[in-house]
Amino acid sequence: MVNIIFNEWKGLFRNKLFITLSSFFLISLIISTLFGIIQNNEQNLAQKNAQEHIRSQWDKMDPTNPHSAAHYGSYAFKPISILNSIDEGVNSVTGNVLRLEGHRQNNMVFSEVSQSLLISKFGKLKPALIFQFIIPLFLIFLSFNSYTLEKTSGRIKLLLVQGASLRRIIFSKVFSIWLISIALLSITIIIQLVFNKYQFDLDTLFRLSLFFISYAFYFYIIVSLTFIFSVVLKNNTWALSLTILTWIGWTIFLPSIIANISDEIIPLTTRIEFNESLAIDRSKGIDGHNPRGDRKEALEKATLKKYNVEKLEDLPVNFSGILMQEDEEYGNKVWDKHFGNLYNQLKAQKDLYQISGVVNPFISLQNLSMGISGTDMHHHIDFLDQAEKYRRVFIKSLNDEYAFGGSKTGERGWKASNEFFRSIEDFQFQSPNFLSFYTKYLADFLILLFWVLLLVTLLSFTTRKI
Amino acid sequence: MELLNIFKYEIKHFVRSKSKLFAYLFFVIACFYSISNGFSLYNKHHSTINSLQQQEDEKISQVIKWFNNGEKGPEDKDWVDITDPYWSLRYTPKHVFKNPSPLLPLGIGQSEQYGYYKKTTIWSSPYDSDIIEEISNYERFVNGNIDFSFLIIFLLPLLIIILTYNINGLEKDLNFDKLISIQTRSFNYWVLFRLIFYGVLLVSTINIFILSVLYINNVNIIDGLDLIKLSNLYVAVFIIPFYFVILSSKSSTSIAFKMISIWLFLCVLVPGSVHQYVSLKYPPNFMTDFLDANRKETYAIFKLPKEELHRQMLSIYDDLDTTKQGQDSLVNIKTTRNTMSCIVNQINIHAINIIEEQNNFKNNLIRSTYWFNPISYFQNEWNSLTSTDYYAYKDFRDNIQFVINNKLKLLAFECWNERTVNVNLYDEYLKKLNVTKNQQFNP
Repeated sequence: MVNIIFNEWKGLFRNKLFITLSSFFLISLIISTLFGIIQNNEQNLAQKNAQEHIRSQWDKMDPTNPHSAAHYGSYAFKPISILNSIDEGVNSVTGNVLRLEGHRQNNMVFSEVSQSLLISKFGKLKPALIFQFIIPLFLIFLSFNSYTLEKTSGRIKLLLVQGASLRRIIFSKVFSIWLISIALLSITIIIQLVFNKYQFDLDTLFRLSLFFISYAFYFYIIVSLTFIFSVVLKNNTWALSLTILTWIGWTIFLPSIIANISDEIIPLTTRIEFNESLAIDRSKGIDGHNPRGDRKEALEKATLKKYNVEKLEDLPVNFSGILMQEDEEYGNKVWDKHFGNLYNQLKAQKDLYQISGVVNPFISLQNLSMGISGTDMHHHIDFLDQAEKYRRVFIKSLNDEYAFGGSKTGERGWKASNEFFRSIEDFQFQSPNFLSFYTKYLADFLILLFWVLLLVTLLSFTTRKI
Repeated sequence: MELLNIFKYEIKHFVRSKSKLFAYLFFVIACFYSISNGFSLYNKHHSTINSLQQQEDEKISQVIKWFNNGEKGPEDKDWVDITDPYWSLRYTPKHVFKNPSPLLPLGIGQSEQYGYYKKTTIWSSPYDSDIIEEISNYERFVNGNIDFSFLIIFLLPLLIIILTYNINGLEKDLNFDKLISIQTRSFNYWVLFRLIFYGVLLVSTINIFILSVLYINNVNIIDGLDLIKLSNLYVAVFIIPFYFVILSSKSSTSIAFKMISIWLFLCVLVPGSVHQYVSLKYPPNFMTDFLDANRKETYAIFKLPKEELHRQMLSIYDDLDTTKQGQDSLVNIKTTRNTMSCIVNQINIHAINIIEEQNNFKNNLIRSTYWFNPISYFQNEWNSLTSTDYYAYKDFRDNIQFVINNKLKLLAFECWNERTVNVNLYDEYLKKLNVTKNQQFNP
């Protein structure tokens, strides 16, 4: 087997077109990986500067009423993962900035795609783009006539006479081409390791290993499928046409069609419906600014009872702050309900999309690639969750200061000190550990594995039938 | 005659070639599907706009009802007094819409990345968070929607490859290309005419789809002509290099390989590289200028003394000194505070201009690459014709800003003139607020 693989490589390296294309892909990969890393570093720096800029304004805040400070609010700027340099995923369409303020859970704004004319429908030239769109085609062209050429030239008979089984010959050919893609994959990983060595931790290394395995699986699928078509159809042109049609279907057509179908099966609410239902539920709580109704009465009674006083003015605390926090607590329930439903719908759509990997392994690869790079929807929702959790703690500390920081009910002009505002910690995004997310990608991984096993079996079977 | 013969034989070949026929029919079905997607988005935009318009009308009717009943405002908000211009204008909702172009079914472009309606208040700006795109699955965005422009720009070249890669290639594979050379007047013409057949077939198919949408949406054919010209030019952009590929290659495999390489190079590699370069040169903007204007500088305005607010208001609107408040030696704190959103608006405008300028630099860089990045040119040109490109939405933002400016100017002059609003004056307000961009407005 090793001899056949070496012989295949010898043949390929004698081919000038192969050398030219391989060099081209190699250079493209090196450049795209390096540019990806540079762009990542610049974007992270810009994100850090923006976060520091906003924080410095907070730190310099004059003594202010804590609730005014809650309206003044803060911002969370979405950081990007190290592996964003390999696969950008949804990052360019999600927006970069999230306002964190009292009384509302905001949406992210200022997506990169909304800041310019359209450039590329398939995204930036990152390694993922090359691995998903270009390398598979390269592999198809290396594979589609590898068997038929041997057959028409009569060389295959020579190999069979020398004692090699047909199955071994075919599998050796498959491996010889597959290993070329593995070499290209390895180079990308090595460049990442070299240029990002100070930023890597165990989690990133684990993610990179999975990235390598996922793409290796997919490349095997592409090469072996092309061989199967070539062996079964016994005609170069037919084999090539069918493989390219399959590639077009998998890569260009099906992802969009299946995503649209998922959207139709599990329709998302419109922004108007979402905002309206949220406003209706929200109006049933206490309006911190214009409190009325039974809820306000109940809270007032409970507070008076707790402090054992008759009137709000006699409270040792500021009832306005308590009201504001009660308003927030109710709002949190409403947001949990509505945003929770929305996220569940998005996750259900994603589940459906993932299952379609059974007919299109490209979808599984795409999901894994984005997930492993920390740039998919799950990671985005995790960022939103963390930012929202921070917002709640942030607003609560401001409302608590208003209520219990030394002011009394009716003291609207009371101001908290600058030291207090500086004591509130800034938002720190904790990049999730892949192991805490692995269940979300298990289906994709298993589907790719299923495809690999299926094609190994089919290739074995077809070589037996020749 | 020879041309007709070649066409006749090519039709036979096309009809008998199952893979080609299947690919073509698949493309036609995909076109139907994409246009139906486009229509559903077009209808969705229309129905949303209609429903918002209806809500707006209901709210206006409510205010008129308060006037007619002698009420000051909602029962549970006793501080509201709609006879005060400040409150009557605050209670007058004004939505700005970006109406979908009737050509939207032919290309949704960047429309899913932007909002298409905006409720304007006296504190609004075109970059508010309520103007973001419709709720959508971000991963669907990444894959892109199958719209008609996507089919033309990305899939049509692939269809051309499937239909033409074995022209001459098959003959060379089977070694009877010499026979063709003998039988035809010119081998190159023979290849060219066969290619023209597919060119004509595809151009006719595309034009039929475009014309159908024009007909359904009642669009003048002249308005759709640019789209027809653009799509036909696009077919030529691929057919011409493919002709030379066919002539210079030795087998159908080689032709297919070269054609696919051209497609990959033009549709994926070049735009991807430009995208990466542009992103390096102009990294995503975190809009800190706008955030500062919206927060730090706005809060600084809130803290200004009334005299300073008064002075700043006069510097924005020169004619304010002719109003009652402008001529009064004593500054009215309530009026000044009620109209300070005009000052905040000026700060927002300044910050937005910086953002738009940065975006414009980015767009200029993108446009400067068109000579080697034709796909981006065709995409943006197509989007521009269907009013779904960046500039269509910039116009929408400009329109929002115009409406805000309009509303704030009215607020400033009415408040400073200490007007008392009645139903007639309110009706005048509504007329003035409905002035669209490019129309002069005089308070």
